[in-house]
Amino acid sequence: MASLVPCPNCGRRPKEEFTIKGAALKRPAAGADASEWFDYVYLRDNPRGAYEEYWHHTSGCRRWLILTRDTVTHEVAACRDAADGSRLEERT
Amino acid sequence: MSEFRPILRPVLGTKQAVSSATLRLSPLPEGTIIHVLARPGEEDMVPFLGSLAKTAAHAVRPVSPGQWFIVGEEPMPHKEMKSLFAALEPRASGVDQSHGRVRIRIEGKMASRALSKGTALDLDPSAFSVGQSAVTLIGHIAAHVTRVGSEAFEIIVLRGFAESLWDDLARMSLEFS
Repeated sequence: MASLVPCPNCGRRPKEEFTIKGAALKRPAAGADASEWFDYVYLRDNPRGAYEEYWHHTSGCRRWLILTRDTVTHEVAACRDAADGSRLEERT
Repeated sequence: MSEFRPILRPVLGTKQAVSSATLRLSPLPEGTIIHVLARPGEEDMVPFLGSLAKTAAHAVRPVSPGQWFIVGEEPMPHKEMKSLFAALEPRASGVDQSHGRVRIRIEGKMASRALSKGTALDLDPSAFSVGQSAVTLIGHIAAHVTRVGSEAFEIIVLRGFAESLWDDLARMSLEFS
C-alpha cells in the first residue's frame, strides 16, 4: 500500500497527510472541440498498472504533487511537484 | 453600540506547564509570528530573510517551498512590522499571524518519545536535526514542528486548535511525568 508517500518537499510522509485529486491528464488546448473537453472533464480510464495522479499534501507543504503509482501493487515509482518542469513553462 | 468587547488573553495562559525530570511542556509567549510568502521564481530568500530578521530575538522557520515564518518572543510594534513588510516587497509578502497561531515548547529527554506518539515525522536527530522544521499532523491537527535544541521542539499551531493540541500533548506526556 502506498502508505508512505515520498513528498519531494517534505520527505516520506503517511498517506493520511494527503488528499487524492484524481488522474493527472494533459489539459486540452483552450480552443479544442467539445468532445475533447468532455473526455478531459468527465471520462476516466481505470488502468491496471502505472497511473499518474494528482495528490495534494494537505497537512504538509500544501503543494500539488504528481504521483506515479501502480494501481495493482500500490508501489510509488515517482513523486514530483506539479509546478516543476514543463507544466510551469506551459503556464507562463 | 454593542456592549461586547473582545478580551485578548493568551489562549494557553491558564494551562499548567507539564513538568518532570525528563519532559517539560510549556506555552511560549504570544509574541510575533509573521508568515512570509515569496513571489514565484524568487530564489535564495533565506539569506535575505535572515538579514531582515537580524535581531537575535527573531528566528526564520521554513514552512514549505517559498514560505517561511518569522517568529519572536516579543510582540512587534506596528511601525516596525510595517517597515519589515515594506522591506519584503517586491520579493515577498508578509502576513501578521501573531494572533492566529500559538507556539508551544516541548523539551527534555523524553520529548521526542512523547511527540512521536502523535506524529509520523521521523524525529531521530539524524533525520531531523537542530534548526529543521516540518509541517505535519499531530493526531488530526496540522502543526509546524521545529527542533530548536538537541532535546527541544517548538510547535506552531492555529490558535483555535491550540487548547486541543495542548490537551493531547499533555496526555501524550503523562507516561513520563
